[in-house]
Amino acid sequence: MQPRVTAILVARNGAKHLERTLKALSLQTRKPDSVITVDCGSDDATAKMLAEFGPTQFIAADADLNFGQAINAAVSVTTPPAHDREMLWLLAQDSAPDPTALEVLVDALEIAPSVAVAGPKVMEWIAGEYIHDLGESITPAGTTVTLVESELDQGQHDGLSDVLAVSAGGMLVRHTVWDQLGGFDPALPTIDDSLDFCVRVRLAGYRVSVVPAARITSAGDGVAGPNQSSRGRLRRRRVRAERSAQLHRRLVYAPAGALVFHWLSLLPLAFIRSIGQLLRKEPGAIVGEFSAAFGAAFNGRRVSNARRSFAKTRTLGWDAISTLRVPSAEVRRRHTLKREASLFGLYGERPEVRFFSGGGAWTMLGATVLGIVMMVPLLGADTLSGGGLLPLSPNLSDLWASVGYGWRDLGLGFVGAADPFAAVVAVLGSIAFWAPSFALVLVYALAFPLAALGAWMAATRLTDRGSLRALAAALWVLAPTFLIALADGRPAAILVHLLLPWLFFTWFAAARTWSSSASAALLFAAVAACAPSLTPALLVVWALSVALAGRSIMRFIGIPLPALALALPLIFDQGLRGTWLNLVADPGLPVPSAHAPSLQLLLGLPGTDGWSGVLDRYGVVGVDPQLVVPLLLAPLAVLALLALLLPGARLASGAWLVAVLGFGTALAANQLVLAAIGAEPVRVWSGSGLSLYWLGLVGALVIGLRSLHRFASMPGVVAAVALAVVVLPLVSSLHLGTAAVREGTGQTQPAFIAAEAQIDTRVGTLQLTPQVDGGLLASIERGVGATLNQQSTLDSTDQTLSARDKAFAELAGNLASRSGLETSADLAEFGIRFIVLQPAGTSVEAAETALRTETALDGNAALAAVGDTEFGRLWQFGETDAAASIPLPARAGGVFRLVTLLIMIAVVGSAVLLSLPIGAGREAVRQANRDAIRRAARADGKQKQKQKQKSKRSRRAKGRVLESDLATPLEPPLGTHLEADLAMDRETGVGTGLESDNGLEPTGDGDAEESDVETTDTKHSSAHAAVEVSAAAQVDKKTNAEDDNAR
Amino acid sequence: MPDKSQLARIGGRAGRGLAGLVGIAVVIATLGAATLVTLPALELDPQSIEVAPLPSEQQRVCPGPLMTLAEDSAQAQSASSVGAASAVYGAVEADGVTQIRPQVTEIRAVDDSNSRQPPLLLTVPVQTGATIPPLVAGSQSQVAATDTLGGLGVAACAEAVRDSWIVGGSTDIGSTSLLLLSNPTSVLATVDVTVSGESGLIDAPGAAGILVQPGEQRVIALAGLAPNVKSPVLHVQSRGGQVAAALEQSSIRGIEPGGVEIIGTTASPATEQTIAGVRATTAVTDDAVTTGEGFNADTPSVRVFVPGDIAATVQLGVTSTDPAIEGTSTQVQVEPGIVTEVPLSPLAVGSYSVQLRSDEPIVAAARTATVGAAGKDFGWFSASAPLEGDFSVAVAAGPSPTLHLVNGGAADASLTLTPDSGTPVDVRVAAGASATVPLQSGARYVVSGGEQLWALVDYSGDGVLSSFAVNPPGPLASSIRIYTH
Repeated sequence: MQPRVTAILVARNGAKHLERTLKALSLQTRKPDSVITVDCGSDDATAKMLAEFGPTQFIAADADLNFGQAINAAVSVTTPPAHDREMLWLLAQDSAPDPTALEVLVDALEIAPSVAVAGPKVMEWIAGEYIHDLGESITPAGTTVTLVESELDQGQHDGLSDVLAVSAGGMLVRHTVWDQLGGFDPALPTIDDSLDFCVRVRLAGYRVSVVPAARITSAGDGVAGPNQSSRGRLRRRRVRAERSAQLHRRLVYAPAGALVFHWLSLLPLAFIRSIGQLLRKEPGAIVGEFSAAFGAAFNGRRVSNARRSFAKTRTLGWDAISTLRVPSAEVRRRHTLKREASLFGLYGERPEVRFFSGGGAWTMLGATVLGIVMMVPLLGADTLSGGGLLPLSPNLSDLWASVGYGWRDLGLGFVGAADPFAAVVAVLGSIAFWAPSFALVLVYALAFPLAALGAWMAATRLTDRGSLRALAAALWVLAPTFLIALADGRPAAILVHLLLPWLFFTWFAAARTWSSSASAALLFAAVAACAPSLTPALLVVWALSVALAGRSIMRFIGIPLPALALALPLIFDQGLRGTWLNLVADPGLPVPSAHAPSLQLLLGLPGTDGWSGVLDRYGVVGVDPQLVVPLLLAPLAVLALLALLLPGARLASGAWLVAVLGFGTALAANQLVLAAIGAEPVRVWSGSGLSLYWLGLVGALVIGLRSLHRFASMPGVVAAVALAVVVLPLVSSLHLGTAAVREGTGQTQPAFIAAEAQIDTRVGTLQLTPQVDGGLLASIERGVGATLNQQSTLDSTDQTLSARDKAFAELAGNLASRSGLETSADLAEFGIRFIVLQPAGTSVEAAETALRTETALDGNAALAAVGDTEFGRLWQFGETDAAASIPLPARAGGVFRLVTLLIMIAVVGSAVLLSLPIGAGREAVRQANRDAIRRAARADGKQKQKQKQKSKRSRRAKGRVLESDLATPLEPPLGTHLEADLAMDRETGVGTGLESDNGLEPTGDGDAEESDVETTDTKHSSAHAAVEVSAAAQVDKKTNAEDDNAR
Repeated sequence: MPDKSQLARIGGRAGRGLAGLVGIAVVIATLGAATLVTLPALELDPQSIEVAPLPSEQQRVCPGPLMTLAEDSAQAQSASSVGAASAVYGAVEADGVTQIRPQVTEIRAVDDSNSRQPPLLLTVPVQTGATIPPLVAGSQSQVAATDTLGGLGVAACAEAVRDSWIVGGSTDIGSTSLLLLSNPTSVLATVDVTVSGESGLIDAPGAAGILVQPGEQRVIALAGLAPNVKSPVLHVQSRGGQVAAALEQSSIRGIEPGGVEIIGTTASPATEQTIAGVRATTAVTDDAVTTGEGFNADTPSVRVFVPGDIAATVQLGVTSTDPAIEGTSTQVQVEPGIVTEVPLSPLAVGSYSVQLRSDEPIVAAARTATVGAAGKDFGWFSASAPLEGDFSVAVAAGPSPTLHLVNGGAADASLTLTPDSGTPVDVRVAAGASATVPLQSGARYVVSGGEQLWALVDYSGDGVLSSFAVNPPGPLASSIRIYTH
């Protein structure tokens, strides 16, 4: 009896590939005895082509048929096999076989009757010298392993024969075995269908063999085997299907006893693996992870069907295939190797930052020296005070407890939302874990070098010239708003200025890598927490980025999420009050500031430039700072405006948009008085908006100067020197004594109370502060005193007075008066043990109030005067523990605290995991390998094209052009998604790994190259490009260079 | 065609330049418009509560009889009282009708070697259920006619305070000034007296840490602290208990008594001071005034002192209650820390109010003198604090007591003076104007209907002149604005 082969060709919308496949099929040296073509509901020319091919049978099937079902449909129209030499050859639209493929495969089955399945070596469709896949196996734990994948074929695997499984496309299987096992498991639509089948074949007592001599292609169309496209949606679907298949197989293969255990582990595993997916920068896989877990958990019928049919055919134990499994260690080893290659690709393609050789270190050093010069009066300080600076809670648990919804131990205390800034403070305090308050000293000590570093790094996104980067750093460090924030002691504003360049740095790369995107999200959250007034401007930039992101929209869309999660409780609370605008109130200790004239804001000055004070002090007359300062700042503005005329104008207009948004923010903030401290209204700080304004200005300036090439240095230096002159009084504010910040003692209360607080951490102190209008600010501080992390805008913007507030005010008012009120009971009720009357300011009314209060307290029989301290006069109520201190209410936040905290942890935690740059996961590595192959194919195409052009030129010289040459397509035909990607890459210059540094080439034609918007599209996953084949990469670089020249 | 591509390139550049110019215009227009446009502002006011303290026991101390230093030179510093002062006092509940009888006790005058009648302490206990403190008033008067002491001295019974200023007195030849410190509280008061004179701050070692036991009055000769000072200004500060301070000044012209006065405390330093009444009994012309060495102590003048460190420019306005007499206004520069006498001239006979407006906080009081057939006398007219709402006045016995009123409110004030016996008197005081009302000697009045008034009672007769200012109860009992965050 002769072997009889029935070829079954399944196609779905595959007209592009079908021509080559059908042609290859007709060129077989050993022709199939019958051909059945199955069209799965195509809406292109597929059906026509399949019918015209002249198959034995043509089946028009539904679109939702998967490969296994389509084969079954074809098998059902064949006559039942009479003997075991009747074979089925399973082909898909992109399975173009070599002419000898069938012959070799049939031989393999003929030689060894025990072999039931023979699989070919599957090659890449366009990069034909690359192996798509060769043989499959599983690890002892059951994970699918493709034995050889995405490798250049140099005959190194041709010795392979016995394998656990082969892939579906091109598989030759004995018809009898197919019928015996019932074909592919319908629960495995595309992935692991052949693997599962082969495992069942093996356990039914047959062998599975791979025949490397038989070569067949795959374009990864997704008919046989998964769709290999790297497009986000298809890729996510594939990842999900892979996990579904794995879980399905696990439940099918598991012994009945272990089934419950497996079932219970589904969700926890999905959770743990999700964390892993975040670390692997595959956030898109998380949904698939859970839906796969749920799918496996609640589709018991599929599992039981599969288990039944498996048990029916199974004759051997699992031991029979144990030698064919790939040890996990081997899988890990392979993965490590590939990952290293992919990491190399990841970093290798980044534009070189050249921090040391580019002058970054020198810039930082210069900034450090300038910082030391400015901070001389603060040298050696352990803590700082003045302005908005307060100590932090002395231990980390307290510090973190003040994050989120819950008890705000401020004044009388209330249940409400913490500012997101509390989280920033907690992180900051955790850095200086040994003494959290020291974190603020660190901020001051490192403010200058950190600002310089941030600006320098941000400038690397715009220019590769060290001098321009240094200029950007200098302009950023000397920003008046930064210097004023330092002098005023505004920790939040200082942090904003330090973080904004990094936000730009990461935002710029967010389109390319998840790591950058998540870092940008975290920085966005930090900036929005430090300066909520910046949020609208940042959201505008975000909306524009999303609108222009194109394919990488997902990398932008989540950027505000951590900020939202952090602010959620506060939004809820302010929403309940109906005071939405109060959300933009500055967090931290409120620091009053004067209304700044708009013109002054335009100069980047949120407060006074300090010149008039200096000129008065030294008796200089005849210089009008109102006139001189704008003149000195003019070069900066002119250069920044000039950028709009030079190459790179589109990017510069983006920078100007940021600047205008920042200025608008500053103007709006200047008009808002939302908070108050005592009688003094507190304006929203316009300096944070001006930081954004300055960012745009410096960005535009750098963009402009980089187009001036060698003429850039002179104007740049002039602008910087003029700025340096303008900010001279601000830099020397600590020396001149105009700064609010000063060396602190680490205490905000008299030492007497601090000592008492060691014993009773909740000891209450009534702080009375005379106000300029003759009023009295009364507040209670518990323990060692006010801390920065406990400050709350909910309190400072509160426009209502609760009954308890009123009772407290009544007590304070009577204490400050000659009164008939018996105060002892009230003092005890509010847990007040001490009263501190803070010194009055210069105001006459305040002095009178202070005097009156002091007299009243002195005359109060319930109080004993302790004496004058550096924080004011101190009285004690009761000799010892007469007044029981009020304990912290337990579980103040309730369920809402828990829920919001969990949301916060989930969102911020995800962003943190995603932002850690720890390389690519398995999926990314596979992707990287595919990318490498894609490049190789492209390089191949380019070279051919060049050769043709060369030959064309030579022929043209001869005056003769051959028709055939012109007719020959210069590009590989557009077919797979891979090719479509490739085509797009060619158009945009993306996917080469060098697209991001276009702007770094000052010689390039800057205009057409980039804006942050332009580069955000299409860049996709190229960051993971692995240079598995270094030759390919090198060729690629060369071609890329050519590309640029060509443009 | 190369031409075409060249054209395209040129066109592209031109387009790019145009776009750039448009961009620059847009940026400048946006920033410029944003800078020039007046933006709406949202400013939320800080929240606060005005807390009226629960009324408590009120106390007033009358300074007691006039004192004189012992003639015995061995005891030059010990004082002895002369005669007795007669006091009129009373308290009315806030409704202005119900009379409350103050408890009257005595302050031990420990420095008085001749203690016939000690100073009085008036105590008004808390009325049960009252939320508004009662109106308490008291004053005393005494006419002295001894060899060394002559004239009328009236004084208000004052609250003990923590910090007070006395502008007046002299330790020049012929003048004797005695500082009376009474401590009505139950706590020991440690009093620091800071004396400044025409030559600046006077270093007086004995002026610090004067102990005044609870319930005692101390008498301190100012000459012991600051000898030969023509124009002293005293700042009395106490720690622990509080004291009621008064300064008794007497003078001798040749061998005749030149007058006596008990100078009460003046208003604490502020940029605006009002002396509600100043009585001139003899006209003064411009050229009658000399300054410096030859300054005539009888010339009507205002003593001004700047407690701070910065020189003050003081605008001094003198307004007569008689519409026929035009007011005067002068501007003087007052050096800080140095007491300055500003003559009030020219001045016709009549009663005036004096307003001082300064750019720095100041303290001030005025002085005039009178000469009559019966002898000479002088009177000090202190600045006082504004009275908000109803107040009461107790008029000690004396010649033709007159209430001087200055309306500092924005609206005209229709006042009703209700005596404890007799018919009420209605007075209308225009906004910013002043008025005088003759009072019954020995009566107690409740003045209602005012919003912001300065008041002073003066007595004048033949060769006698004196006054006391009516002050509101100390700020300690007034309401206070409390901010809770």
